[in-house]
Amino acid sequence: MNMEDLYRVLRTSHVQAQGIVDTVAYPLLVLDESLCVQAASLSFFRTFKVDRYETIGQPLYELGNGQWNIPDLRILLSDVIPRATAVINYEVEHDFPNLGRRRMLVTARTLHHPDNGSHRMLLTFGDVTERCRRDSARDMLVSELRHRMKNVLAVAQSIARQTATKGRSAEQYRDDFLGRFGALIAAQDLAFADQGEGDLATLIERVFAPYTANPDAVVIEPGAAVELSPRETMALSLILHEMGTNAAKYGALSESGGQVRISWQVDDANTELHLKWTERGGPTVKAPTTTGYGTELIQSAVSYNLQGRMEQNYAATGLESEIVIPLGRTSLPG
Amino acid sequence: MQKTVLVVEDEFTIAMDLQNMLETHDWRVIGPVANVQGALRLLEKELPSVALLDVNLGNELVTPVAKFLKRHDVPFALASAYEKAEQIGGNILAGAPNVGKPAVERSLLATLNRLVG
Repeated sequence: MNMEDLYRVLRTSHVQAQGIVDTVAYPLLVLDESLCVQAASLSFFRTFKVDRYETIGQPLYELGNGQWNIPDLRILLSDVIPRATAVINYEVEHDFPNLGRRRMLVTARTLHHPDNGSHRMLLTFGDVTERCRRDSARDMLVSELRHRMKNVLAVAQSIARQTATKGRSAEQYRDDFLGRFGALIAAQDLAFADQGEGDLATLIERVFAPYTANPDAVVIEPGAAVELSPRETMALSLILHEMGTNAAKYGALSESGGQVRISWQVDDANTELHLKWTERGGPTVKAPTTTGYGTELIQSAVSYNLQGRMEQNYAATGLESEIVIPLGRTSLPG
Repeated sequence: MQKTVLVVEDEFTIAMDLQNMLETHDWRVIGPVANVQGALRLLEKELPSVALLDVNLGNELVTPVAKFLKRHDVPFALASAYEKAEQIGGNILAGAPNVGKPAVERSLLATLNRLVG
């Protein structure tokens, strides 16, 4: 039943109307000319936690210790209503003693009696507090996702511009870039998965998935659970990808039978992550004399992004690296 | 005299890219630097012609750097993914041009040149 139907019924039969009012699903009040409550729907009693006896016959503004004596509602009833037959979804925000702060959409309609010129008023209340809260949470999430998306595009753009072109074929450039892009994708995947918390073990697995054809090539030792922020996830993903690439080009993964062993520990105070990288079975390694973008990327991601440090030992048996990064710094999103 | 620009950006891939781009176009880059403390330390030594600021520096906002720059009459531009950066970083950022993120090279350079006059 809508307002129009109810209007028609109220004009013809008061008794019938009373029964109908009770069946209306949302909180509804019928007021007389002096704004005393003539009828109220069951939903009104339930929603506002009041009973029939303290409501019917009472002036609206005195109901429930004056909880309806709301400035915005007074303006609606005294100023707006007399000039319009109907007001739809007029917003009222108010602290209700029993309910707390609620945001209501009030719809009002005046009913003129055809014979004696008296009038009544129908008022309905839609509680949109929850809906507004959900809307604003969703808006925040959307804005946060937009920010993150633009940020990761900016990173991809920067990497594309800085990936070496000199002396490289187009195919080589593409593969280099797509390798780094893949590390970004792995990080995003993880960062978006579970409330923005990425897990170190999963990240390492994802980054080294391309090497799993030979199960002995990359050995990931089980370690403590470490939750990473999206920023940490992205930086570590790029670092690990570059280290893998370097091992495949110059280190243990460049020869069959070579092996990379990855392990990590968290110190007792849970403030530092120690990530160890050990190469064995590859060619004899020497410290490189020039640094390319890949090496710069590793070092800058550790020191600049993660405010950590890195030690590298070009041992005769293979490269040994240790990355130490501080954990648990509170961070803003993005 | 060579124009100087302070770059505050916490993401190193973007910071390095900005640095390369600016140096190619004859700017001398101060930084890049990833946090407020580092930026203020650099500013104590030398005031740049202009500054390029990311707004959200991971675990802090760039706002104190913007305040310092304002006090010393150094113009600044923003390089932020936020559309309304002042809602995040405060009123001090209102009115500062935002070259966006990702930044388009041409408009970034044009904005910095306009700010130094």
